[in-house]
Amino acid sequence: MARPASLAEAAAALRRRTISPLELVDAYQKRIEQAADLRAFITPPGEQARREARRAQQRLARGEAGALLGVPIAIKDLFATRGLRTTAGSRLLRDWVPSTDAALVGRLRAAGAVIFGKTNLHEFAYGVTNANPWWGVARNPRDLRRSPGGSSGGSAIAVVADLCAAALGSDTGGSIRIPASLCGCVGLKPTYGALPLEGVIPLGWSLDHAGPLTRTIEDAGILFDALSGGRAWKQAQRVALRGLRVGLLHDSIIQPLQPGVSSQVDRAAAALRRYGLRVRDVRLPEMAWTVATQLVTLRAEASAAHARWIRARPRAYGPDVRIRLQLGALVSGADYVVAQRMRAKIVGAVRRLFDDIDILLLPTTPITAPVVGERMVRWRTREEPVDGALVRLTAPFNLTGVPALSVPYGEVSGMPVGLQLVGRWNDEARVLAVGRLIEALASR
Amino acid sequence: MTERDRLAAATRAAGLRLTAADLEALAPAWKRYLALVEELRAALAPEPWND
Repeated sequence: MARPASLAEAAAALRRRTISPLELVDAYQKRIEQAADLRAFITPPGEQARREARRAQQRLARGEAGALLGVPIAIKDLFATRGLRTTAGSRLLRDWVPSTDAALVGRLRAAGAVIFGKTNLHEFAYGVTNANPWWGVARNPRDLRRSPGGSSGGSAIAVVADLCAAALGSDTGGSIRIPASLCGCVGLKPTYGALPLEGVIPLGWSLDHAGPLTRTIEDAGILFDALSGGRAWKQAQRVALRGLRVGLLHDSIIQPLQPGVSSQVDRAAAALRRYGLRVRDVRLPEMAWTVATQLVTLRAEASAAHARWIRARPRAYGPDVRIRLQLGALVSGADYVVAQRMRAKIVGAVRRLFDDIDILLLPTTPITAPVVGERMVRWRTREEPVDGALVRLTAPFNLTGVPALSVPYGEVSGMPVGLQLVGRWNDEARVLAVGRLIEALASR
Repeated sequence: MTERDRLAAATRAAGLRLTAADLEALAPAWKRYLALVEELRAALAPEPWND
């Protein structure tokens, strides 16, 4: 049988036994070998994945069930994996083989998943280009000259290039949603705290989230439920979409915006209106402060996480991450408090906004995938650093901790555009339900 | 004391061992950081007790 197109199809085919876990693993491994130029993996799946596939095969033969039984899931190399090298994309941890799994890897194993290699990332997840100085510059599968985004770039590549059934990523300022947007897949950053982070190498304790990268919304829902032990995806099936209040964000933080991206957002809003959702423009002026607030918060927290190594072994970091960590060491307690005071104001504003709307709609990134190595975006009236532009519309939802989903919607000059859907805290069900509608409208 | 001297002093106080080239590379990011923090401070309403 042909390789399944989605995680849901793979799980169904494995249950029906029209394909075996080992056949699936071998098919993906062959594709990984052919797609080595993409630099999707730091540690590609090897014999361990085949052993796990054989075990899943025996369990399926015994009639056992499991939401992900035999399904190959790639893991961002920031999550500890028992007996499997975990580098965090760094030179410092190049030989670290953990003795225990991260909590979420354990949950995937408990659901029967095959742990399918460790994907490339920006060093220590501290950046959004995935130009990794130690493990290779990752490439966008839609155009090899372009960046896949990051920091979960390898996971997005593996999903879009069909190198696994789905992947696990992490998101501190947009690291799931940005590569999902630039490569053209689904990426879900759930509510802060919805998924445990034990065994994930920290970047910013109050900003870090884990979540799925998948080819479809259904896959994101299935994987999120398996990871959380909840029923968000099941609840999403029962969400009444007609009459739902959607806020279309119109604020200074949105601008500048690539014109083609702007057109796709307007097209999606019009399609939602035609479907019976109540779409109206909303403003959130406090968003203007999110970039500064996120920067101070993250610089301080990341520097605290790396306090020992950045002082003892600064040359073991790549230049961009080294400068960010050194700068973070200079953040004063007073500056951090100023940022947390502003953060509280932003959280309050978001809370009030969701009194009037159910879902917030905005682009995931203001630009499509930049060319690898490009440092500045040239807008009509000014220039903006590429990394700043990429996190401008995603970081606000790390600060506030609300669930945010990136869904592919159309293209500009052959490169995908991601729409971002944001919901109330713990309302992943409604976010996924609107995401599925957008996905359906995009294919019309 | 120049801005560069202040940065060098801050890095020493933070326990960082930086070369002149490191300081050169860090200076623009440090300058941007200070400006952003100043903007944040200005945007927060002054409290009645320290207005």
